[in-house]
Amino acid sequence: MRSASVAAGAASPRRRSVLFLVRFVALLVAFYAVVAWNPVNDAVVVPFTAAIARVSGVILNALGEHVSVAGTAIRSDRFAVEIENGCNGVEAALLFVSAVLAFPAPWPRRLAGLAAGFLAIQALNFVRVVSLFWVGAHRPALFSSSHTVVWQSAVVLASVLLFLFWASWSGRKPAGADPKHAA
Amino acid sequence: MRPKGRKGAALPLALPRRFDARVALRMAAGFAAGLAFWLVFAPAYERAVAAGAGVLLRLVEHPSVTTLGASGGEFRVDRSDFPPASPRPGLPAADLHFNFVLLTTLFAISPHPLAPGRFARFWLAALLLYGIHVVALAFQVEALYATRLGPWSEAHYGAVARNLWAGGFHFYQVAGRFAAPFALWWALSAPPMPEPGS
Repeated sequence: MRSASVAAGAASPRRRSVLFLVRFVALLVAFYAVVAWNPVNDAVVVPFTAAIARVSGVILNALGEHVSVAGTAIRSDRFAVEIENGCNGVEAALLFVSAVLAFPAPWPRRLAGLAAGFLAIQALNFVRVVSLFWVGAHRPALFSSSHTVVWQSAVVLASVLLFLFWASWSGRKPAGADPKHAA
Repeated sequence: MRPKGRKGAALPLALPRRFDARVALRMAAGFAAGLAFWLVFAPAYERAVAAGAGVLLRLVEHPSVTTLGASGGEFRVDRSDFPPASPRPGLPAADLHFNFVLLTTLFAISPHPLAPGRFARFWLAALLLYGIHVVALAFQVEALYATRLGPWSEAHYGAVARNLWAGGFHFYQVAGRFAAPFALWWALSAPPMPEPGS
C-alpha cells in the first residue's frame, strides 16, 4: 500500500511535466497560427514591428546616430536595417506566453506574469535592436554573429528565465496562507 | 527542511532554488562552451545535417533528384535536373542550428551539469536536436522548391503542398527553433529540485 502510494506520488510530477509540455507545444502552434495568419500579421504584427522601429529610432537619435525610420526599416548614412519577425520580440513572447499559459497556476498570477514578462521581453528587445544597429554601423564585421547567435540566444534565454522565475513565484503560497495558521 | 508538494500546483524543475552568482556563472560557462563547440564543429555538423536531410528528401521525392551539401556557412542545394550552368541555391546554415548554443546554456542552468547522468541526457537532447535540424532543413528545401522557383514551383506544387512546406519551415523560423531547445531541456533534465512553493 505504501509503495503504491509512493509510486503514484513519484509518477504524478512526471505526468504533470509531460502535460505541461503537451500544452506548451499545442499553445505554441496555436499562437503561431494566429500571428502567421495574414490579416493578423498585417493588422497587428507589422504595425507593432513598425512601432518598435519608431521607438528604437528615437533612442538611436538620442544616442546621436541620426537615423530615419520608414515602416519597419531604420536607416542612417552608415547602416540600414529592416526589423523582421524574429527580431521584433514576437518569437520570445510566443514562447513565454505559451509556457505561462501551459503552467498550472492561478489566473491572477498568470495575468500578472504575462504583463510583466511581455514588458520585460520588449524592453530587452529595444536594447537588442538599438545595440545591433550600433554594431552594424560601427562594427559591421560583428553584425552577423551578434544578430544570429548572441542576441537571438539572449532574448530567448531571457524569456525562458522569466518563465522560470515566474513559475517559481506562481507556485509560492501567498503571505498568510500557511496551513499551520489556517482556520 | 523537506519540501512538501502542493496538489497540482507546480512542476518538477531541474533548477536551483535561487538564481545566484553560481547559476549565472554556470549559464555563462554553458553559453561560452556551447558557442565555442558550435563555432569549431559547425562545418562538420552542417555536412551531417545536409546528409541527413538529403536522405529524408530522397524518401519523399519521386524521382530522387536532390543532393545537399554544405560549405562556406551555407547548405548547397543541387538537383540532377537543374540546367548545368544555372547557379545552385544556397541556404544560410547558422540560422538553422545556432539553437545548439541555447541547449548548452539551458542544460548548464541545472546544478552539476557535468554529472554523468545529466551529461548523457544533454547529448541525448543534442541528438534529438540534430533530428529536428534535419527535418527543418528538409522543410526549408521543399519550401524553396515550392515557392521560390517561379513557374517551375507553380507547375510542380499545389496550394496545399506550398502551404505545408513553407508554413512548416516558417513555424520553425519563428517559433520552433527557439522552443525546441527549451522543450528538449524540459523533457530530459532530471527533476532533482523540490517543487516551488515548498
